[in-house]
Amino acid sequence: MFLVGELIFFGLLTPGFLNIQNLLFSMNDFAYIGLAAIPMTFVIITGGIDVSVGSIMGLSSITVGVLWAGGLHIWIALIVALIVCTLAGLLNGLIVAFTDVQPLVVTLGTMFLFAGIALVISGGSSATGYEGISGFPNPFVQIANGITLGLPNSIWLILFFLLIFGALLHLTKYGRNVYLVGINMKAAKYSGIATKWIVMSTYMLAGLGGGISGIILTSYFSSARSDLGAQAILPVITAVVLGGTSILGGRGTVLGTVIASIVVGMMNYGLQLSGMTSEQTTIIVGVMLIVAVVMRRFNINYVKKWFIGNRSTTTKGS
Amino acid sequence: MKSFLYKIIKVRELSILILMVAYFLFVGSINSQFTNSNTIVLLVNGSIILLVMAIGQSFVLLTANIDVSIGSIMGLSAAVCGTLLASGANLGVVVFSVICVGAVIGFVNGIGVSYLKIPAIIMTLGMLGVVRGLMLLYTKGMWIENIPNYYKKIARIEILSIPFPVWIGVFLVLIAYLFLTKTKFGRYFYAVGDNTDGAQLLGLPVNTVKVLAFILSGLSAAIAGLIFVMNIGFVSNQTGSGMELQVIAAAVLGGVALTGGMGSVIGAGLGAIFFTVINSSLVFMKIPAYWNSAISGLLLILIVVGDSRFQKYLKERSRQNQKNSLGENDREKQSKAIP
Amino acid sequence: MSEEYLLEIEDLHKQFNGNHVLSGINFTLKKGEIYAVVGGNGAGKSTLMKIITGLYKADSGEMEISGKRVRFANPNDAHKNGIYLVPQEPLVFPNMTIEENITMGLKGIGKPKELRKKILQVINRVGWSIDISRLGLTLSIAEQQLVEILRGLVREAQILILDEPTSTLTHNEIDSLFDTIRQLSDNGIGIIYITHRFSEIFELSHSVAVLRDGKISAQGPISEFSYKRLLDGLVPTNEQPSNNITQKKSVIQSSIEQIGATVLEIDSLCGNKFQDISFSLREGEILGIAGVVGAGRTELAEAICGIKKFNSGTIKLNGKRIKNLSIRKVMDLGLAYVPEDRHAHGIFNITSVRKNITSTILNRLNGLFIPITKENEITKKYVNDLKIKAEGTNQELSDLSGGNQQKVVLAKYLATEPKVIILDEPTRGIDASARADIYRIINQLKERGLAVLLISSDTEEIVELSDRVLVMQEGKINKEIEKEKLTVDNITSAAFGVKKDVIS
Repeated sequence: MFLVGELIFFGLLTPGFLNIQNLLFSMNDFAYIGLAAIPMTFVIITGGIDVSVGSIMGLSSITVGVLWAGGLHIWIALIVALIVCTLAGLLNGLIVAFTDVQPLVVTLGTMFLFAGIALVISGGSSATGYEGISGFPNPFVQIANGITLGLPNSIWLILFFLLIFGALLHLTKYGRNVYLVGINMKAAKYSGIATKWIVMSTYMLAGLGGGISGIILTSYFSSARSDLGAQAILPVITAVVLGGTSILGGRGTVLGTVIASIVVGMMNYGLQLSGMTSEQTTIIVGVMLIVAVVMRRFNINYVKKWFIGNRSTTTKGS
Repeated sequence: MKSFLYKIIKVRELSILILMVAYFLFVGSINSQFTNSNTIVLLVNGSIILLVMAIGQSFVLLTANIDVSIGSIMGLSAAVCGTLLASGANLGVVVFSVICVGAVIGFVNGIGVSYLKIPAIIMTLGMLGVVRGLMLLYTKGMWIENIPNYYKKIARIEILSIPFPVWIGVFLVLIAYLFLTKTKFGRYFYAVGDNTDGAQLLGLPVNTVKVLAFILSGLSAAIAGLIFVMNIGFVSNQTGSGMELQVIAAAVLGGVALTGGMGSVIGAGLGAIFFTVINSSLVFMKIPAYWNSAISGLLLILIVVGDSRFQKYLKERSRQNQKNSLGENDREKQSKAIP
Repeated sequence: MSEEYLLEIEDLHKQFNGNHVLSGINFTLKKGEIYAVVGGNGAGKSTLMKIITGLYKADSGEMEISGKRVRFANPNDAHKNGIYLVPQEPLVFPNMTIEENITMGLKGIGKPKELRKKILQVINRVGWSIDISRLGLTLSIAEQQLVEILRGLVREAQILILDEPTSTLTHNEIDSLFDTIRQLSDNGIGIIYITHRFSEIFELSHSVAVLRDGKISAQGPISEFSYKRLLDGLVPTNEQPSNNITQKKSVIQSSIEQIGATVLEIDSLCGNKFQDISFSLREGEILGIAGVVGAGRTELAEAICGIKKFNSGTIKLNGKRIKNLSIRKVMDLGLAYVPEDRHAHGIFNITSVRKNITSTILNRLNGLFIPITKENEITKKYVNDLKIKAEGTNQELSDLSGGNQQKVVLAKYLATEPKVIILDEPTRGIDASARADIYRIINQLKERGLAVLLISSDTEEIVELSDRVLVMQEGKINKEIEKEKLTVDNITSAAFGVKKDVIS
């Protein structure tokens, strides 16, 4: 809904906006938000939150960089980095599932921890802070910057994520369990669902998502830095919540998150085209977030219908 | 025995103090310079911005809400303070305007959370973006550097060889502490976070309390902005970004529970100092500075997980005690019933 | 109007969205009077109390306190006029001391020292001993209720409203609560006592009002009431459960032949809150477990189905020992536990009937993806079988009535196709027709050869359904009663222990 409104709005405002080419290539700038936000949707649906994802992006970036600089093949370095990030997610998940510390506190701690580890890795390999490690081989740089079948690779990646995670959340037993745990953790336990495993696994997915997102960023800038993505966490959560996922758990869709990520990204792009600065867009995104939540509250019945409609289109789409 | 256990639950700030002293001694044993009084004053001075914001955040956390917009409120306040000072405005006007900025933003947050019933994290997350954008618009993304010298010198005024900003921090902690513990209204903050329904039923002004908590949080961020300009002497366009999570981490470290109703501003203040101490101590232990976040993150997790286990243990203990005493009552009653 | 009444209500009306919740309530309370108010769910009890305490406003009608006409805008106004409600679930601040809990929100009263003195005086007056420096989280529910009552008394309440205070108390706690209430009444405080337990009404109250469909259907001094007259007030005369008896007899006859082989054997099971429990359960048998709240029945059931751990003893399901198995494994072996607390442990309220019903059997569906058609088939089968009233299988649970929600919970566990099913308070808080449906379902299960363990605090329900009853008291099996000797009196006296026997 937002997206369509926005397309029309900016289309009227600036004729150049509806140039498909422009639109599609603008996605490169924010694809990483969507890639991290999609798995984050799972965490928030279970009623949790993971603020360490931004740090995980940096961790992923610097791991790839240091391993590659250390002589490892770039693709092996990439896989190792993803494994490291999934393990980081596992640590989050273990603490959240097996202690009664709130997810926000746990991931706040690991946010510092992972950012710290990334710094230690980078410091230990004496990669200078600002420039990072650069000079990656072309195939790696092409991950984020290349074009396949006329579309930027980042769009393919987002589509791929939408399909895989959309199917996982909306069509599989695992996805169903994620919802049930988020709606009522105790009832899920009494129904024989392995609640701890479900909760833990969503954090692993979020870690993996952060890892992939970090790699895209590294490839996009062609430079590995420990602080890549340090500011990403708030836009990521914004995208998830704006996409209709309830911060209280139990509701949300992957499609919604994808649309919201694109809305936020397009908004940046569109507002800049129509002569606004990127600073002004953060104001608009912030206001939009608040207004979207307020609207949902006041129009609960209307929105309920919209939700059901939305859900069925998701199923059809994937 | 029982009352001893309750006291420990109550005096969480004591355990953080003990932990901090132990840490001091530990680092001091490696490098004796660390425990000298100059270093300590320096450390405390370095933590003041965090500390002031942690005080305000505590009010919000006590009511079982959260405010993640304070980093950008601090940034905007610092920017307003900087530009006004640079344009030669009177000090009183500057302070007043900055404080108004913080209070108004806090008020809007509070209205959103209490009356529009927006989850606090969403409301303040949105506000974070809005305020950050406002700041960049206001400064046009430029750094503010030409702060008059008289203002920067305030930071170096020493009373009893303790710098002025530290006095501000001490003063604010004391005021907040007295307000929260000694006044009736102060206790409402605890009540609202402890059991909102209960507070409502007792006729407490739940919404007013929540709004006030956010105003105080905004205010504290504004004051932190004033101190920032004083201490640092310039305002970059990234001022305050990322601070919100550090502040929350500091408050949690100091024993303020995110679930509301538990903790104190003294604890939050100590948490802020401890957080800074950990960061600064590495230099004294000759560990490269890039270990900072890793170690503070690890300590935060260990402390929080340890504390949760400890609280669980205490609760189980008190439940056990309660069961025993209940059993006794039953026996008493039965023995009464027989004759 | 006269001043001898503490509270006088005249012709009170209230409607929500066009539904008349209260229509024409007249009610008076004298000094020192204990006035019981009974009524089914949705009869309007809680709405009436919320109007009296200022949480809701009446559409029309008058209310007078000690002869003075009043209209409350919020609970504070009610407090000022000496009315205090002790809610069913006490709202205590867990991280505060009892003293703080009591004084919280108190307006314009002097110094802390004087306040403390006053609290101690009140505690003395009602004859309790409680350490006011204890924290809220260490209090039992009974103690929390005392704190609530103290809150009211320190606020100098003249009218105390107690909302089903005994529903979560143990027997001893109930006794001492009753002593307290009598004491308060002797001190001249008027008490409105909301309950659904008839025995309490006759034991405690001076007067009684019966609410039905927003009207008072019977009212007066307790001496004018009999058990039957109360029941007449509660249930419309044409719906009296007289046909139940004939129905029950036929069930008895058919049931005897059906009881088959032993499926569940419990031997000297000990755990938290229960000790030395032994019994066996056979196919086609309904074994009732009676007892007061807090007797350890739910804890026993949760240990059997693997939610909680037990310390010693054995559980055999179909001859196979089960210990330390996950809930999932126990369920797969054919034992399902339908939990007591529907909202906390039973339903997924913001999702559909379909997703609720299949929540227990997701792992049995083949493949990675959920087979939608199969899922729909299963759902439709149970919706039809159990007569769940919903607008299709995609309706959200939060839109269903309590009775239908309970049926969905039942369906979700029946979907696991259990051999043994443990029903914990299956009809709590649901209306009469849903209750009748659930009774019918339970009898059908029995006919199909399921072994049913029925836990209920509703003694009449136990008597009506069970083939055999175990009575638990304070964690032990106190008595086993065979079908022939099954009466409400027998169970009640066993549930309340020896002491009651001595008295009667």
